[in-house]
Amino acid sequence: MAHFDTEYQRLEASYSDSPPGEENLLVHVPEGSKPQWHHIENLDLFFQRAYNMHQKNGLTCMLLGEIFELVQLVFVVAFTVFLANCVDYDILFANKFVIHTNSSKVTLPDAFLPMEVCSARIRNNVFVIFILVISGVFWLHRLVKFIYNICCYWEIRSFYINALKVSMADLPYFTWQEVQARIIEIQKEHQICIHKKELTELDIYHRILRFKNYMVAMVNKSLLPIRFSLPMLGDTVFYTRGLKYNFELIFFWGPGSLFENEWSLKSEYKRGGNRLELADRLSSRILWIGIANLLLCPVILIWQILYAFFSYTEVIKREPGSLGARCWSLYGRCYLRHFNELDHELMSRLSKGYKASSKYMNCFMSPLLTVVAKNVAFFAGSILAVLITLTVYDEDVLAVEHVLSSITLLGVCITICRSFIPDKHMVFCPEQLLKVILAHIHYMPDHWQGNAHRYETRDEFAQLFQYKAVFILEELLSPVITPFILIFCLRRKSLEIIDFFRNFTVEVVGVGDTCSFAQMDVRQHGHPAWMSAGKTEASIYQQAEDGKTELSLMHFAITNPHWQPPRESTHFISQLKEKVHREAAAGQLGATSENLAFTSTQSLQSESEPRSLIANLLAGPPSLASLHLGRDGSIGMNEGASALRSLSPLSASLNLRGSYASARVPRPDHPAVAAGRAMAGSGTDARTVSSGSSAWEGQLTSMVLSEYASTEMSIHALYMHELHKQQSRREVSRHTWHRQESDESSESVHDDPEASHNLPRSNTFPFGGTPNQEGAALQMSGQRRYGGTTESLCGSSRIQRTPRVPMGGWTEETQTGRHHEPVPEEGSDDELPPHIHKVT
Amino acid sequence: MNCRSEVLEVSVEGRQVDEAMLALLHTILLHRSTGKFHYKKEGTYSIGTVGTQDIDCDFIDFTFVRVSSDELDRVIRKAVGEFKDALCNSGNDGVGQISLEFYQKKKSRWPFSDECIPWEVWSIKVNVVNLANEQERQICREKVGEKLGEKVINIVEVINRHEYLPKMPTQSEVDNVFDTSLKDVQPYLYKITYQITDSLGTSVSTTMRRLIKDTLAL
Repeated sequence: MAHFDTEYQRLEASYSDSPPGEENLLVHVPEGSKPQWHHIENLDLFFQRAYNMHQKNGLTCMLLGEIFELVQLVFVVAFTVFLANCVDYDILFANKFVIHTNSSKVTLPDAFLPMEVCSARIRNNVFVIFILVISGVFWLHRLVKFIYNICCYWEIRSFYINALKVSMADLPYFTWQEVQARIIEIQKEHQICIHKKELTELDIYHRILRFKNYMVAMVNKSLLPIRFSLPMLGDTVFYTRGLKYNFELIFFWGPGSLFENEWSLKSEYKRGGNRLELADRLSSRILWIGIANLLLCPVILIWQILYAFFSYTEVIKREPGSLGARCWSLYGRCYLRHFNELDHELMSRLSKGYKASSKYMNCFMSPLLTVVAKNVAFFAGSILAVLITLTVYDEDVLAVEHVLSSITLLGVCITICRSFIPDKHMVFCPEQLLKVILAHIHYMPDHWQGNAHRYETRDEFAQLFQYKAVFILEELLSPVITPFILIFCLRRKSLEIIDFFRNFTVEVVGVGDTCSFAQMDVRQHGHPAWMSAGKTEASIYQQAEDGKTELSLMHFAITNPHWQPPRESTHFISQLKEKVHREAAAGQLGATSENLAFTSTQSLQSESEPRSLIANLLAGPPSLASLHLGRDGSIGMNEGASALRSLSPLSASLNLRGSYASARVPRPDHPAVAAGRAMAGSGTDARTVSSGSSAWEGQLTSMVLSEYASTEMSIHALYMHELHKQQSRREVSRHTWHRQESDESSESVHDDPEASHNLPRSNTFPFGGTPNQEGAALQMSGQRRYGGTTESLCGSSRIQRTPRVPMGGWTEETQTGRHHEPVPEEGSDDELPPHIHKVT
Repeated sequence: MNCRSEVLEVSVEGRQVDEAMLALLHTILLHRSTGKFHYKKEGTYSIGTVGTQDIDCDFIDFTFVRVSSDELDRVIRKAVGEFKDALCNSGNDGVGQISLEFYQKKKSRWPFSDECIPWEVWSIKVNVVNLANEQERQICREKVGEKLGEKVINIVEVINRHEYLPKMPTQSEVDNVFDTSLKDVQPYLYKITYQITDSLGTSVSTTMRRLIKDTLAL
């Protein structure tokens, strides 16, 4: 042994010179000269910053925004202090006269107190000094944060420029999907994540939305104490930014939180053994944080009031109606958010639904208030008119004390009153509007459908879509209420929270610990009432409510067409997509470009003709549809039409084309011929989208088409809700309607091919004036088509299936109520003992 | 964390601790070391040779291969020695963990110090057992040997997987990837840390650091 040793040693001695036999040695080329984007330490933060930077349109905009925020802060504080201490209001109100040497005019500077008096007043006021100190500390914190951010985002900037090859000037014109695709490309080259060779879209989403997904899941499972039934106000939701901040502090990043770092849950929380002890610890932590909140309450409260005052008074003065305007509440944003949905996706979706939502809310004008408002407006208006007339006659009237202020006040009064008076030409059609809203917001409790006209539904919707004024008020109250919610409500849930994090955390290679719901695994978290019956193995505790898993999966698959879902999910998606394919073929049957597939007018024109698919989609399943149509078929179609009208702004052209299509009935012969014709059509017309079917088969390669993803998702959401409704209704009514049902469905299956004959659909469709809109129409035509037949196919195939859950007696109420749900209501989930079996 | 982590667990007798640790750490380092780089003008380099050496254990029926570099051996021995002392002094339960972390340095701009970003962490959990008599010791000696053999194969399997390794650096960056302080061998930059008892909480300093970072983050 020792002998060999020495031999090695000798060789080593000669290293200092050039290695022996250099010409024979292998020569290597270093690869490390490339930029340092491999192997980034904290990918969560990295992706979050990259996303932030993209959303804020580059570094310059971001920094400028932050600088202005800092300046604003100084201004708010300084101005308040100045107004409170340095202004002689007596001079302003002309209670005291100033003696001027040169002129008799009172100028603004006259009202300012001299510096010495001013500073003396500030120095003597302890309260003011207290506020100044607090805001100074806060400002310094913001400043340090700002400087730190510059350094961090500078790195991201160079990542964008050097690695992603996106210059800052171009960044605002890139979609996130494009940026993401480039990041995925980069991974192949630089390996920014070392666990995997390739990143998927889902990995990036998981990292950016890790904690948001947890919050969405917790709201979905009603774990967070944000719903309260108060004695006077009834069922209310209280969820403010302050409360949200505290939740996140407790769970995710505060000292002693459940998470060890951004990407992993502490190991003791993954074990079931000492859950009681951990729950105790959590509850005591919540108590301390609650107490800290209570102590800081005055400071936060003052800040909130000041902030609200300065940010909203100007707006209120400018347009007093804005307080009557509505906004999506924080709770609504949580409730309506899909798993793995980025902020901008959610916001665009909700913004699209805004108009319909406010219209819906405006349907519910209180008639009493209207009468009162009309009369108040009348009286106020007459006084105002007189005052204005007098002013016009002689403007000295304005100089009379309080005339100007009463004119202003009367104006405000009239504006407020007017907001209570409904538009004369408005039609009350809540059910339709709710459908339209659903197409955008994608989630809705079951019991709303069919009850859209009721006040209960309206009130519940108001929880999602609240008055701006209420929002501001809640934010103002938040510092006071938050500590009590933490101490008295959240603490009681600590064991459930511990169980939740243990049961619903999975460790994903290359991502770390994520919420298992966010995996969107239909098998693990699917809800049998939401199309995943037979596929799901989830217990009630594990099922996501409101079809969240299924809808999220569809949403994610549609927004990220390149994403390869895991096998179980693929099955679920392919079940839908398979029908899409079939429909694609059918849709091309009547592929003459003038003939647009769907016509709402047509279906209204001729009741004898096979129902258009949108009627199928929205009015009911084929089996039940005829029943519906017999009673209120036209209403159903109206709904459908309006729902779709909101999806694309070209209802007019659509209807026109529709009637045109109905005028000439094409005769599609053979699929092959038709397909050939379609191809020819696309070949001849240069502006034709290459193949309509591929556009919604999930191969949205072109970025232009990805804009229609939201439309596609809307259709899917409507479809899934409809199917869900039918399924739950079917389970109730099955034994009663059994006979009829089978008859109807067989008929409708027979019907449908006919429908596709008589209603030709074109996927290759030349662009008219506005290519985008036409494109949307094209998209929709295909989708509508597919929706209808899927419906019928499902209808026919579902007849053999026996209901999974035996139901009780069937009554008229159960049809509309939520009782048919095979799972208990959300609230009762919480009482169920959590399953200890481990998901991880 | 953006880094691979491998965990090995061994149960050994008190006096076997350092040999077992040496065996495992040296095995890992053997595969994570290269010869010295000799850069040439055109930006290419050639790699020097590395000698290997068989080491027999005294208290375990086991022989392992290590890089024949006394300097490296000294460093490892020192770390393992400290770990063993800490383990002995810790008290009765005798549970500890020694980790070998390979990292990369990333140069940062002035206000911040260089970042050390780990890319692979090997944690070896040690459980010290007390044996009553000589016969048990004999059995233990063989068993531990077998176990270590398994572990070595384990390590080799992990290392054979085609996974992320830092890219070969240019001359100016070689210090960011490799430990160039040794004159006969050039392992990837590594750090050996140990921890006695599986303590639940993280240390105060890391908590503080995180707190500051968190408040600063957006």
